[in-house]
Amino acid sequence: MDFHLTTEQRDIQKAASEFAKGEFDPDAALDYDMRQQFPLTIWKKACELGFIGVYFPEEYGGQELDLLENALIVEAFCRQDSGVGMALALSDFGSEMIVRNGNVDQKKKILPFIAQGKGIVTSAFLEEGYFFAPFATYAKISNNGCMINGMKSFVTLGSIADYIIVVCQTGLDTPHAQTVILLERETDGIEVSSMGEKVGMRMIPVDQVVFVNVRVPAENIVGQEDTGYSQLQNFFNEMRIKTSAMGIGIAQGGLDKALEYSKKRVQFGKPIASFDAIRNKLADMHIDVEMARLIAYKAAWSFDTGKPDSRAILMSKMIASKTAYRTTYDAVQIFGGYGYMAEGHIEHFYRDAKVLDLFLEPGQIQRSMLADHILGRVSGE
Amino acid sequence: MGQNGYLCPWVEKEYGGAGLGLEYSFIVTDEMAYAGVHGLMAGLHSDIVAPYIHTFGNEEQKKKWLPSSISGEIILAVAMTEPDAGSDLSSIRTTAVKEGENYIINGEKIYISNGILSNLVVVACKTETGHESPYKDVSLICVEDTSPGFFRGRNLEKAGWHSQDTGELIFRDCQVSVSNLLGDEGKGFYYMMEKLQQERLVSAIMSQASAEATFDMTLDYCKQRKGLKKIEIPIDTNGIAEMATDIEMGRTFLNSLIYDHIHGEDIIKRVSMAKWWTSDMANRIISQCMELYRDYGYLEDHKVGRFFRDARAHPIYAGTNEIMKRIIGKKLGI
Repeated sequence: MDFHLTTEQRDIQKAASEFAKGEFDPDAALDYDMRQQFPLTIWKKACELGFIGVYFPEEYGGQELDLLENALIVEAFCRQDSGVGMALALSDFGSEMIVRNGNVDQKKKILPFIAQGKGIVTSAFLEEGYFFAPFATYAKISNNGCMINGMKSFVTLGSIADYIIVVCQTGLDTPHAQTVILLERETDGIEVSSMGEKVGMRMIPVDQVVFVNVRVPAENIVGQEDTGYSQLQNFFNEMRIKTSAMGIGIAQGGLDKALEYSKKRVQFGKPIASFDAIRNKLADMHIDVEMARLIAYKAAWSFDTGKPDSRAILMSKMIASKTAYRTTYDAVQIFGGYGYMAEGHIEHFYRDAKVLDLFLEPGQIQRSMLADHILGRVSGE
Repeated sequence: MGQNGYLCPWVEKEYGGAGLGLEYSFIVTDEMAYAGVHGLMAGLHSDIVAPYIHTFGNEEQKKKWLPSSISGEIILAVAMTEPDAGSDLSSIRTTAVKEGENYIINGEKIYISNGILSNLVVVACKTETGHESPYKDVSLICVEDTSPGFFRGRNLEKAGWHSQDTGELIFRDCQVSVSNLLGDEGKGFYYMMEKLQQERLVSAIMSQASAEATFDMTLDYCKQRKGLKKIEIPIDTNGIAEMATDIEMGRTFLNSLIYDHIHGEDIIKRVSMAKWWTSDMANRIISQCMELYRDYGYLEDHKVGRFFRDARAHPIYAGTNEIMKRIIGKKLGI
């Protein structure tokens, strides 16, 4: 057993951290948050330097790195700024399905496009109603190709994405018969509309996408027909790891800021870091972040060994999102009145952190899934 | 609100009030918070600032300012916090120097609720320096917005409370008549300590009401979903039961405090407990409720998101929760 990162991993971590420190100006970040704008310029630079899509194969513009390395980058980005970090981390949302299940043509078309910063890809799966299956969005597949009808909600980056990877129901009698289809957003019959303002994560538009008789050729199907359900489950597993990385980054960022502020803020004649109320809080925050990081790295590592540890991955996402919430709650508290003001540069970490509890699937569902894992089948069910 | 008698209903009829008990004012504050309305900071105006004038003001001051506060013609604010004086109120630097018939005030105040809209501000100033106890230097002076040398700074952007202004106040050789001094010179710190009991009670009422409002609407939402058989996520009965229990305990504690406070008892220790516990409880419950709305809870279209942003202020203002625990510790003799 070895808890050390390799030299290469440390170099990647350092490079990501230096990039974030150099490029994520706090005032500019606040401005993106307030204007609800995607940080396009920063994202382009990140792509130029090869930080996006590092896990893509080299022949498609990636560096063939593992999920752990990608997690280190996402963590470093979110640590510097929760909003910019999440925006960059989600700019290739769903490309995992192309990497794992796409054919050569799809990979050639999509992956270099993302890695070189030419455009944004997203995926659409959530709907009102059941969580995973069956979906109401239906794709009729025939010799003439696919015809899609339905509606997806909470599509991150929907309005600015060039491609949308949509998971559709293809079998009416079998809930798990779903198919993944790659679409250009500009295809006829696709209508994208904003779902409105959000509490946080404001640099990332969240949209509703309506499909009315959307026709695409069968070559746009990703992987095999009717294998969408398991593709989506695998994608969720990868995304839970990435979400954990966002969570520990945001939590560590909150802790960094709280540590710095508590040392320089003087009340009652001494830095507030000398009061037990603050010291104990900081110690607890540090414990939480360290624990969340350990399980997140373990989850990523297990995925990279080819044997994803589903329990660790579920736990990691739950722990990281709770930790991000709690740590930023406390960081705001340590900042006092300044913490509640936008100019304190900490309240948006708190607003952003809360999304992680809801992202992919809410904690309650994950808890129930974990219970299934550890209990196995219980008689009487 | 003024026209309908909702502002300062506890003030005697001779000043234009309704002559009711404080509990009536608390009911108004409670209902405003339940509705999620923070605009105007009516609770601050009625239950926090007006009492300073009522308790420490002389007859002339009461006649001058209370009727217009009650009718809503003027908006009140109180200015204690400064850039370097947050939790530690004794370190304020704003000075008021007597020159003939006037005080000349110089300094800066920050995070002042109603700071931008207020017409009359109770300002904590140092009227003297050099006492062995810095607590004896502070006086409270009422500053009208028409006073020469009174300037407003920025209206600050914040996580929540968007219908309410939180501003900076700047005093540059600000001239105020000496007749605007509240009570005696040098007693300001003690006056503030006395009135903070009620401010903390009001803060706890607002926290409690926001927890109740969020819980009630979330419960309705869950029932509605259950009725529609749209149970996309399991409804966490255990969690809901725990939240209901927290809320019931908070309300019971709060009611006993309101009763004792109205009957003139010293509730400093217990109100400090209520302020920190209720504000953390409200944030915990709102955060948990948000998850029951699935992703919808994160959208501003749903009220729960606003409650989430607004509630984060409660553990901070009117003395941070850490200061509350410090007070409790002192009262316990440690």
